[in-house]
Amino acid sequence: MTMTSAEGTPAPPRMSAFARKGGLKAHERRVGRLFLLPALAAFALVILFPFLRALGVAFTRSDLQTPEPVFVGLANFRAILATPEILGAFVTTAVYVGLATAGTVVLGLGWALILNQSFRGRAVLRAVTLIPWVLPSTVTAFVWGWIFNSRFGVLNAALVGVGAIPHPTAWLSTTGGAMTAIVITKIWFSIPLFMSFFLAGLQSLDREQIDAARVDGASNFALLRDHILPHLRPVLLVVIVLGVIGNLQHFDTIFALTGGGPVRATSVLSIEVYRRAFDQWDLGMASALGLLWVATIMPAAYFYLRHLLKGA
Amino acid sequence: MVSVVLTDVRKSFGAVEVLKGIDLTVEDGEFAVFVGPSGCGKSTLLRMICGLDEVSSGTVAIGGEVVNDVPPAQRGIAMVFQSYALYPHMTVAENMGYALRLAGVDKAEIRSRVETAAAVLRLDKLLDRKPRELSGGQRQRVAIGRAIVRDPRLFLFDEPLSNLDAALRVDMRAEIASLKARLGTTMIYVTHDQIEAMTLADKIVVMNAGRIEQVGSPLDLYRAPANRFVAGFIGSPRMNVLPAVVGPDRRPVLAGGTAVPVETDLAPGTPIALGIRAEHWSSAEDGDRGALSGTVRVVEHLGSDVFVHLSVEGAPDPVILRIGGERMVRAGDILRIAPDPLSVHVFDAAGLRVPTRSPARSAA
Repeated sequence: MTMTSAEGTPAPPRMSAFARKGGLKAHERRVGRLFLLPALAAFALVILFPFLRALGVAFTRSDLQTPEPVFVGLANFRAILATPEILGAFVTTAVYVGLATAGTVVLGLGWALILNQSFRGRAVLRAVTLIPWVLPSTVTAFVWGWIFNSRFGVLNAALVGVGAIPHPTAWLSTTGGAMTAIVITKIWFSIPLFMSFFLAGLQSLDREQIDAARVDGASNFALLRDHILPHLRPVLLVVIVLGVIGNLQHFDTIFALTGGGPVRATSVLSIEVYRRAFDQWDLGMASALGLLWVATIMPAAYFYLRHLLKGA
Repeated sequence: MVSVVLTDVRKSFGAVEVLKGIDLTVEDGEFAVFVGPSGCGKSTLLRMICGLDEVSSGTVAIGGEVVNDVPPAQRGIAMVFQSYALYPHMTVAENMGYALRLAGVDKAEIRSRVETAAAVLRLDKLLDRKPRELSGGQRQRVAIGRAIVRDPRLFLFDEPLSNLDAALRVDMRAEIASLKARLGTTMIYVTHDQIEAMTLADKIVVMNAGRIEQVGSPLDLYRAPANRFVAGFIGSPRMNVLPAVVGPDRRPVLAGGTAVPVETDLAPGTPIALGIRAEHWSSAEDGDRGALSGTVRVVEHLGSDVFVHLSVEGAPDPVILRIGGERMVRAGDILRIAPDPLSVHVFDAAGLRVPTRSPARSAA
């Protein structure tokens, strides 16, 4: 049965009482904005406001002798460029970030490939692999500090035991040794996270694709080169960018293991900023350096965000 | 072209034995179809012929050589997978030429072989596309092309059409049939769809629960199923199965009391089952021998045919019969029908088909 008007043509249906004003999408957007508010407020309070404060302080002299900040323009930045040891910190940071990121990617991928095979005890091994990730970073630093310890460390004991070195070495007191130690510690600590990313990626690889490649005559190396790595490319990109960002920001295990030493051998930017701010109380200089530090993270963050937004 | 000989092939996953001793010969140039319900072991058997899964015991011989320990790439086979298993980051041409590239064939030769296969499969305009830019049917053709390019001595197909829609499946079925006619290569094809099996196969291998139930040509299986499982699995709609007992004159008596005019050698009183296909019924008069009546429950009009589901006394499931498309039948009508005595199958209590005689012939 249809409703008809007096002329016999069907009457247009009236609007439902449940219709949303402006359409369904507009209504969802209004609710969405409401949900965003708490996060935005927290962001403004704990991130945006301190960042803007620091931005201001970077252009002032603010140290123990000058409790009230005095505007000095770009003087802090000029001082940074004129201080070779600070410029050295950029180089140290690049070396540290490069080695730690590359090491974690390679070992994390290798470990994920192993844990993706089916064998007895795989589930247990996967669980055990996550231990470094859940340990507090100071505990990690303490464990590795003992391993590298010159007198009681297991590394010296092992190397002397197999005759690789004639007598124990003070690893953390040599330039190369200290850098190796902080890189290894960071790699050990980050492998679980990277491995999880890779493992998740590997598990979405079509099993029949690998079977087909095997029938086509692919060796293990060809499988890795032609199928696994191309499949993992998006994951690899995210993992490298996250690794670079994480390593640029890293502070705690380096500070606990070497404190930036010996001399300045492991003084990466995070350590340098900490020293300027809380050893020397030169807040103007620390803020200026912090700003440059943020600038080094920006390109990596940009790539990451672009990738995230493109994926969405 | 090669033959494939399986001798007492078994496969266990832990304590579970999924293949329980398979003996089978697929001749040179034959198109064999493994058919059976999900989980019957047909895909596992194919993967073992391919070399993707190891044989627990028994031997797989291809071209007269035992290949149990030969890797898939060295068996001279090509396989088409259910999911197509195309390499997503390679173009159609790269997908098709991948095996040749790995084998170190030179680039010009690869290009010429890929182009020849692409022309046959109407893929020549798509060679630079990635798999994600193709439709389901095109992907399936690329998967077949990838197999053809290698010029294998044995083709394996693992449910290649089950991801396609109904219309495309019919087209691809025809394409595979013409491929078989053109190449003449030995082919083994796995499916759970008995229509694919009936239309493509030279030889159908019906499998169930890790065993071969029957091997034969499509018509052999249709006309003379070895047991109730094959009878029910081959043919659409399913063969009607009616419970009965052997009467004093060795004729089956249906649960409703009707005697069917065939004779068996089974002792009187033996419980049996009668199998009668939908097309082997005709309408009957009151006095006809073996006639039974039932109430129409459902009528399915397919245009050329009408399938009628009939409730018959003593039969647990409705009897399905085929009648001409022009005949009008409605739910609730009473029909009187009789089976064609020459097409009645008798199965014993174990489900095996037993020979029957037509009383007319025995009387003669």
